[in-house]
Amino acid sequence: MSKFDKRIEQKLSEHTEKDAHALEEDIWKGINEELFERRTFEMKKRPKRLMPAVAVIAAALVLAFTLQTESGSAIMKSVKDMFAPEKEIIQSLEGQDEHTNVTLNEGKDSEYVIYVDESRYKMVKGEEVDIITTSEPLPDDFPEVSMEIRQYPDELPDDLVKKIEAELKVEFPDLRPVETVTEPVEGYWLHGLAESVWDGKVIDVYVVSNGKEGSFVITENYFLEAAEGHGARFTHMLESFEIVD
Amino acid sequence: MEQHHWVEQVRSGDQFAFRQFYEAYANGAIRIASAITRNRELAKDAVQETFIRVFRQIDSYNPTLPFDPWFYRILTNECLRLINKETSLVKVEPSNLDDNPALVEKSFDQLSDLYDIIQSLDDLHRIPLILKYIKGFSEKEIADILQLNQNTLKSRLFKARKHLKMLLDPHGEEDVT
Repeated sequence: MSKFDKRIEQKLSEHTEKDAHALEEDIWKGINEELFERRTFEMKKRPKRLMPAVAVIAAALVLAFTLQTESGSAIMKSVKDMFAPEKEIIQSLEGQDEHTNVTLNEGKDSEYVIYVDESRYKMVKGEEVDIITTSEPLPDDFPEVSMEIRQYPDELPDDLVKKIEAELKVEFPDLRPVETVTEPVEGYWLHGLAESVWDGKVIDVYVVSNGKEGSFVITENYFLEAAEGHGARFTHMLESFEIVD
Repeated sequence: MEQHHWVEQVRSGDQFAFRQFYEAYANGAIRIASAITRNRELAKDAVQETFIRVFRQIDSYNPTLPFDPWFYRILTNECLRLINKETSLVKVEPSNLDDNPALVEKSFDQLSDLYDIIQSLDDLHRIPLILKYIKGFSEKEIADILQLNQNTLKSRLFKARKHLKMLLDPHGEEDVT
């Protein structure tokens, strides 16, 4: 190393070393609180049954319903009126902002809405489950990439999450302990990785209250190498998930 | 400890294991963040957010690639995100800057210390220097962190060092190549 290089190294060291020691413990406190203390605290609490936003939407729907006489179509219309049909979101992928146009999609019987990035994905509605998957099919040797949304009208999240955890442990022995989360949705979160290889299957399952006596289960399927792509995009789309019934 | 051990430590989700990982990486991360953000509070937020992201997104790390560039890419991006959030300044296109001989944002007359001079460089030249001299990353690693072509990175480092040398040692008594 030349004398010049040493001077640069020394100067940068002098100016940054002091802050590093002073901040180290302070930063850990913030991390510890966010990752561990809050988790312990929240696990002890009962999860909220309904998001405030949902309550507002439900109230708006009741109002809309009472003001109109054609019941079914009135609700459908008001749901569409309440949300912009398209919008631009800024999503952070690996810390870099990306502007993406997303389109409003309604779930089965207008029970929920979600904005979908239709430049990459499509929503396929089924009798029991709605699936958001890639617009173009992936090559055969790629693991599944999809986000499924299914409602269990008679099963509470507390009960359902235990059942799902037990089922997932078969395919994902290293399944992480269940966490309660507030993002991208408020509810329980299960996360598993089958194998640490590029095409290792990854699963994220969110169990959220449907606001009544049931639950919505959102299951994201992707693979390790796609975590920062499809995985991150699913999470951003899920942030727009709103229950409307 | 080897990098894959740290990855396993993080992946375990255990508080004690994560604390060990934090202790191994915190000093370097805070120093890099302090230098990039030039702001103690932003550095603190960037480092905290980086460790939280790493904990939550460890499964998105590809274990066939080195861990440190992945970790420091998240940190660097987080620093830049916070800087951009703080300032309403329009980002200048890299291609324009590369052709611009004036790499410094302030007049040399205003600067008295080598650290200030380094910090007066634009981000395209300043950040590679910070990564090189604080953490001792190789050119390949820095290119990986900043997601640049290695030749582009090499050129930026060369220009940055040449410019510093010119300001500090106008008679060319030391070798900067």
